[in-house]
Amino acid sequence: MKKVLCILTVLAMFLSLSVPMAVAEEKTVSKIAFCFQDLETEFWVAGYQAITTTLREQGIEVLEYNANEDANKQLEQVNDAIAQGVDGIIIIPQDGESAVTIIKYANKAGIPLAVFNRPPSVQSVKAIVVVADNYTISYDAATYMFQQAKVRFDATGEKVVAMHMIGDLGDPNAVARADGFRKVADENADIVAKIVEVPTKWDANTALANLKSATQANPEFNMLFCGSDFMYPQIQSVLEPLGKWVKYTEPNHVIMGAVDGDSTAGRLMDEGFVDATAVQDLYFEAEACMNALIASVKAGETTPAQWIFDPGFALTQGNMAERRNDMWGNK
Amino acid sequence: MTQTHRLKAPGHNSFVSRLIMSEYFILVLSVLYFFLITAIVPSMMSVNNLKNIFSNMWPLFAIAIGQTFVLLLGGIDLSQTSVMAVTSVIGAAFMCNSANPAVLGKAPIWGWLITESGGPLAAMPAVTSTLIGIAIMLIIGTLIGFINGNLIARLNMPPFMVTLIAQMFYSALAIYITKSQNIMFLPETFENLGSEGIGFFPYSFFVAIFLATAAQLLLSLTILGRFIYTTGGNIHAARISGVPVVRTTVFVYAFSGFCAAIGSVLYSGRLMQGRPTMGSAMLLDIMAATIIGGTSTFGGKGKVSWTLYGVLFYTILATSLQQLKLDNFTINIVKGFVILAAATLDAVRSGIRRTKVSAVPGQVGKKAQEHG
Repeated sequence: MKKVLCILTVLAMFLSLSVPMAVAEEKTVSKIAFCFQDLETEFWVAGYQAITTTLREQGIEVLEYNANEDANKQLEQVNDAIAQGVDGIIIIPQDGESAVTIIKYANKAGIPLAVFNRPPSVQSVKAIVVVADNYTISYDAATYMFQQAKVRFDATGEKVVAMHMIGDLGDPNAVARADGFRKVADENADIVAKIVEVPTKWDANTALANLKSATQANPEFNMLFCGSDFMYPQIQSVLEPLGKWVKYTEPNHVIMGAVDGDSTAGRLMDEGFVDATAVQDLYFEAEACMNALIASVKAGETTPAQWIFDPGFALTQGNMAERRNDMWGNK
Repeated sequence: MTQTHRLKAPGHNSFVSRLIMSEYFILVLSVLYFFLITAIVPSMMSVNNLKNIFSNMWPLFAIAIGQTFVLLLGGIDLSQTSVMAVTSVIGAAFMCNSANPAVLGKAPIWGWLITESGGPLAAMPAVTSTLIGIAIMLIIGTLIGFINGNLIARLNMPPFMVTLIAQMFYSALAIYITKSQNIMFLPETFENLGSEGIGFFPYSFFVAIFLATAAQLLLSLTILGRFIYTTGGNIHAARISGVPVVRTTVFVYAFSGFCAAIGSVLYSGRLMQGRPTMGSAMLLDIMAATIIGGTSTFGGKGKVSWTLYGVLFYTILATSLQQLKLDNFTINIVKGFVILAAATLDAVRSGIRRTKVSAVPGQVGKKAQEHG
């Protein structure tokens, strides 16, 4: 009997408290949830700071949720934000697929949602999506790298053996970046000996371990393209003992490039270790994301559908003089 | 004489001792904490928040029931999260209605198990496809647990080691067979199982309560339940007493895999996809909910209802910390502290119980029956 009473107590606790609470309808923006998957890289930290600081400066309360790279936890956090009566939600999803699911939940609740930088895998979803043109900026950066490789090939006959460090393939950004690099490699097939794909899963430890293995198996490598700048410390720790962490003006240089445009990439380009960086305009993306969401809330839209593209650009050793300060990591 | 001893048992009648020893301690704590936190954060009591707590706790509860059985046996099952991952992707591969070759084209299962037109069950009606898909997930989960149980029971391998290796192996397998891609476009019936419900009650509530009732009846009314408590209380005594320790152990780990697969069904439906990383960050939640409920990490002591209280407390705690707008690091610190407190409480309870038993002649023989 005690057990039954006990179970009933638990149920009664929920049911007895299920009295609807009056929720004031507001067209003004007073509370926004920012749900991010983690803050592992400089890019995400800078984006997080830009968004939270700007919103708070506008007098908007920001509810922060860190999902620790767990899609289910992020879904629960979005539901929690909805329960707390937020006016809008900004998410950095764990991957493109979980973004689709979370958008469906937000749509059902009638809360406008903006996806920052990591797009949903299905384009027909109803959300504000702000994303860089990852394919094009990666293509442009890789094009410069292969131009340098062609110069070297013409001078020495040395073909390209490239380490291609790929991010989490569940992330459409990682896929687009990899595709951009592959496209250029295909276009330069005549000077390519081998492209070694190194999975990183967007994890520094995985990247380090896999890059070590790949370089041991292919010690002749002379090019490296990475899906994100945040892995440069791991790259340096692998290349330095091999005597391949040298400037582009010196022999034995590995032609190197990556994507994002953080301060580490900026410094390494200044020092001459890195040849090209595919730059996402972080501050443009953050501002566009916030502005579009706030406009939707004010307009009373519950399921806004809008894609905003950040064109980005490729910063190379060739255009450093003109465009160095356009990269967010150099600001 | 016995009465005299009882009166002299240290702390036997103190309120604190009785409260700590009460099997409803965590439930009382949950209710008190809920009302306390509601006074600080009134939104805890909003309908939507209660719905969230109510829907978040059942999948976790289903998995924690399996862990409760393992802890009762004095073991541990670290592989539950990888069971979730592997069953999630295999079930989804069978059930999905379509698949994108650009995403899954390089996966080893592409071409023979999953194609552009979906998995082998895609042509079936959604309900049939869902039922068969779930059956496949449950069979695989149970099979993995069965293998773990046999390795532990027949080869006398440490449960920690066996299930840790299983965790690594099956997590890697889930990632390998999908090339780390999620599988989407599942039957709507399956998705609804994890995301919809009847009024206030999500479907996961009915699934978890049915599972819990069956599990509790098994523990309290069947000879197998007795075997589990006896084996967990003292495995050597159990062997001497003729308890089929090997079969009991195999059953418990298989059941743990089964429960993890049920959790996988609910979470996969909720997330509307098969995920190779499903549950990868959940082990702490599962262990915490079970241990907070009072199930002893030393074996032989625990109940399914205690785990329900533990899950309730843990879910309320997690939600309240979020509502208090604490940052993520603080939340993890508080969670860690609560789990440590629960483990300490378990040790304190065991100490009090030992003291009482040793102080009261004739009680030793009854110890094994104390928590049946």
